[in-house]
Amino acid sequence: MSTARHHIVIGSGVAGSQAAETLRDRDPDSRVTMITLSSLPFYNRYDLPKVFRGERDWRRFLVRPPGFYTEQRIGLRRACQVAGVDTRRRAIVLAHNEAIPFDTLLVASGGRSYVPEELSDYRHLMHGFGSFEQAITVAQALPEGGHVVMLGGDMIGLDLARTLIETGYRVTLVAGEPTFWPHEVEAGERPRLLDSLRKVGIEVLDCATCGGVAAVEQGAPGLAARRVLLRDGTEVHGDVVMPFFGLVPSVEFMIGAGVDIERGLLVNKALRTTDETIYAAGDVCQIWSDEERRYRFYYGWKNVRAMGELAARNMTGDADAFISAQDERLQVSTDGQIQSPFWEYE
Amino acid sequence: MPDPLRTLSEQAVATGNAESAAYTSEDLRDIGWVKQNVPCQTACPAGTNVPAYIRDIVERRYGRSYEINRGANVLPGVLGRICSRPCEAACRHGWPGNGEPVAICHLKRVAADMKDSGHRITERLYAPTGKRIAIVGAGPAGVAAAHDLSLFGHDVVIFEREERPGGMLRYGIPEFRLPRDVLEVELHNALRLGVQLRTGVAVGAGPDEIRVSTLLRDYDAVLLATGCMAPMPLPLSGEWENRDPARELSDFEYGLDFLMQMHRGERKRVGRRVAIVGAGFTALDCARVAVRLGAAEVTIHLRTGEDYIPVAREELFEAKREGIRIKGLRTPVSLRRDDNGRLAGVEFVQNRLGGWRPNGRRLAIPIEGSEFFEPCDTLIVAIGQQSVHDFLDVKPDLGRAGAVRVTDSGMTSLSGLFAAGDYVRGALTAVEAIGHGRQIALKIDAWVMGWTRRRAMVRIEPVAAPLRERAFDFIPRQAMPTAPLAERVRSTTREAETGMDEAVAIEEAKRCYLCNLRYQIDVDRCIFCRACIEVAPRNCIKLVKGVEMADDGSCGQLLETKEWNQVGAIWIDNRECIRCGACVAACPVHCISISRCELVDVDV
Repeated sequence: MSTARHHIVIGSGVAGSQAAETLRDRDPDSRVTMITLSSLPFYNRYDLPKVFRGERDWRRFLVRPPGFYTEQRIGLRRACQVAGVDTRRRAIVLAHNEAIPFDTLLVASGGRSYVPEELSDYRHLMHGFGSFEQAITVAQALPEGGHVVMLGGDMIGLDLARTLIETGYRVTLVAGEPTFWPHEVEAGERPRLLDSLRKVGIEVLDCATCGGVAAVEQGAPGLAARRVLLRDGTEVHGDVVMPFFGLVPSVEFMIGAGVDIERGLLVNKALRTTDETIYAAGDVCQIWSDEERRYRFYYGWKNVRAMGELAARNMTGDADAFISAQDERLQVSTDGQIQSPFWEYE
Repeated sequence: MPDPLRTLSEQAVATGNAESAAYTSEDLRDIGWVKQNVPCQTACPAGTNVPAYIRDIVERRYGRSYEINRGANVLPGVLGRICSRPCEAACRHGWPGNGEPVAICHLKRVAADMKDSGHRITERLYAPTGKRIAIVGAGPAGVAAAHDLSLFGHDVVIFEREERPGGMLRYGIPEFRLPRDVLEVELHNALRLGVQLRTGVAVGAGPDEIRVSTLLRDYDAVLLATGCMAPMPLPLSGEWENRDPARELSDFEYGLDFLMQMHRGERKRVGRRVAIVGAGFTALDCARVAVRLGAAEVTIHLRTGEDYIPVAREELFEAKREGIRIKGLRTPVSLRRDDNGRLAGVEFVQNRLGGWRPNGRRLAIPIEGSEFFEPCDTLIVAIGQQSVHDFLDVKPDLGRAGAVRVTDSGMTSLSGLFAAGDYVRGALTAVEAIGHGRQIALKIDAWVMGWTRRRAMVRIEPVAAPLRERAFDFIPRQAMPTAPLAERVRSTTREAETGMDEAVAIEEAKRCYLCNLRYQIDVDRCIFCRACIEVAPRNCIKLVKGVEMADDGSCGQLLETKEWNQVGAIWIDNRECIRCGACVAACPVHCISISRCELVDVDV
């Protein structure tokens, strides 16, 4: 019977994939298994707006060729939902009741789009943009030159809005809190940034004046497919409605695992949870910051990638601390474009 | 003529003798079986027979379902709205791999809402005893105890300081969660069997107040159920150390006082930004009331995190839907005033999570040097309540935590003086208070009568066939409909949850596994064909050498084996079994029987 260690990575995004590759490099004899809810192998979510430029072939989005995982001896379990982690038996339990034992576990399940609870009744009338499948669905629902109503306005949405405008669609943004997530913007700076959005062609309605969204409804026959009612009585008609209110960590399956959770998994600077065999990396974890004296999230491609690599190194013997190398300032370029360094990737 | 191809239970049912074939058992193994295998009932502080009342909903027998509830707790319509739902946390349907727990609490409300308007209440009355019992406090513990003691035939008088009965249910829970007409009807039903209710009558040591010593002299027993009405002070440092901000700042309120004043009819106001400190139902209620009073920003500040607070997930979700924000890992350490001397905001310290407290809650450990400030216009503190004893003119012994000390008989150190509910056990949930009130009522009855007149046994009744279909296992948990958000946040009285309609309720009720059904294999008739094992959807049928029994009669470890020559029995592991009935249908020799096992109170 093999005595090789079994490293399990939950999640196949930037953090999880980087961790799996690092684990394979550093522990060649080990078993590495990556478990993902996605039906596709690791693909580049930053490129999803390209579906509106006509790119609909999933293979073009893959970061690694499909054969890569076999060559690297990384077990890839796609379309698997983790139901829980049994720390007593040191096994993860999948929704179909399969238990997979692990020696070390990395949780890199990332975040899912947050829809404010007051809008939860209207989920079925809104389109998400968190996965390739969702991107294709919304692209198919949107007629050429159609009208997208965005609610919220995080940087994922604003990045998409830029592509939509460039490709001939119309975008109305109902800018609520937290606009520009994950950047924290000073109240005085917000009007200037909203003006920048207007200059690039986005129609902006500020919740500070319109009162926010009261309801999302099916459009009347013959009119646009959706109608958004604002609290000041204004109606906005659009072909699709898309919520962009930032991400919330996907931690539900960890609630019974006995590790500390606030909003995300709480980890020390070495990215270890309160269980010494369980680590976390990426958007799912809150890391202790000595400087700020609090647990905080670190976003951006560079940070997330560094976390994946560091967690893998620490799972295989190192004990290094996470240091952010990410510029967190929101910038406005000379042509009026809002640039988030979080979205820069190699 | 007995049919050898039928189980005994099938034969009993087929011949119409199921009822007569039922029997009661006091065998420890049967009692242990129910406690181990019906986790919802075991978790319920009132011991509600959950599977039985849910099954009645499937059969559209709402009145009977309501009466099963009422047999365990006297206020089903109330608890069906505001219960803390320990049963759902224990529900087998929520165990790993089984999906979400059954909406037990919502189904309790279904039974209350859908019973006929002329529904007949059943009560088991004992003959009058001539014993007189005084109860101080008409909250859930006092009312539950009064109800049971009146059934036992005693003359019961309740003394209530407030103008109306109900205690925390009336004065501590907002109307949008608990409509007062529901409370009124159920309180009336609980107390109408001869209980004398004297409201607006204070028991205490002040002038014109009735002394406890007088009650002890005039009654055979006295029960103190005065609740936990004094707010826990907020421990602050610096200039606020050992000072009560409520005395100095008009924008500082204690949560329970805030709610009680509102429900006594006072007009309450809050500022634009409201901060709530606390993690329980009172904190959540205060936050939701603040939204309804027009606050623009309402934030609940927690010492730990959302996952560690003792409130129902659905309540938390509804609070968030109403726009309430939750912020974790922070403890208030000081307050700041503005230039006018009004509250300007709260200074917090950042926490990290520590170990677990004995009460099952997480510890929060402040991080030195991590103080930060958050502005607010109103601060409501709801970090708990404590009981006070200044109304007593007698001196029962107190325990270390400051609560009155009681023995196993429920009696304090003073003969004839009993205590129940929050007053003796600290702030409880409504269902815990009701459960405790009933337990103490039984003990008071035993004390005044000199012997225990009722005890729990297990009623075992054969059932012919499985009552579930496999398809029921795939029904998702049904949501509780709610009033439109825009309408409900404009009113402190409009009920937020509007109740399930019949079709939805029955779908939800079908999800219950009916854990009170015991599936057993008659080893003498089993031919070890393994057909049941083949069809079982889970690892619930096992080949065993033997079964360990625990001291309390519950089933211990199963000694499983794969060696045929060691197999002593083929055993249905009722902890794994989801009562789908597939094994019964597959068995070629009908050796699997089903019996309904229920805890019942039996006269001794």
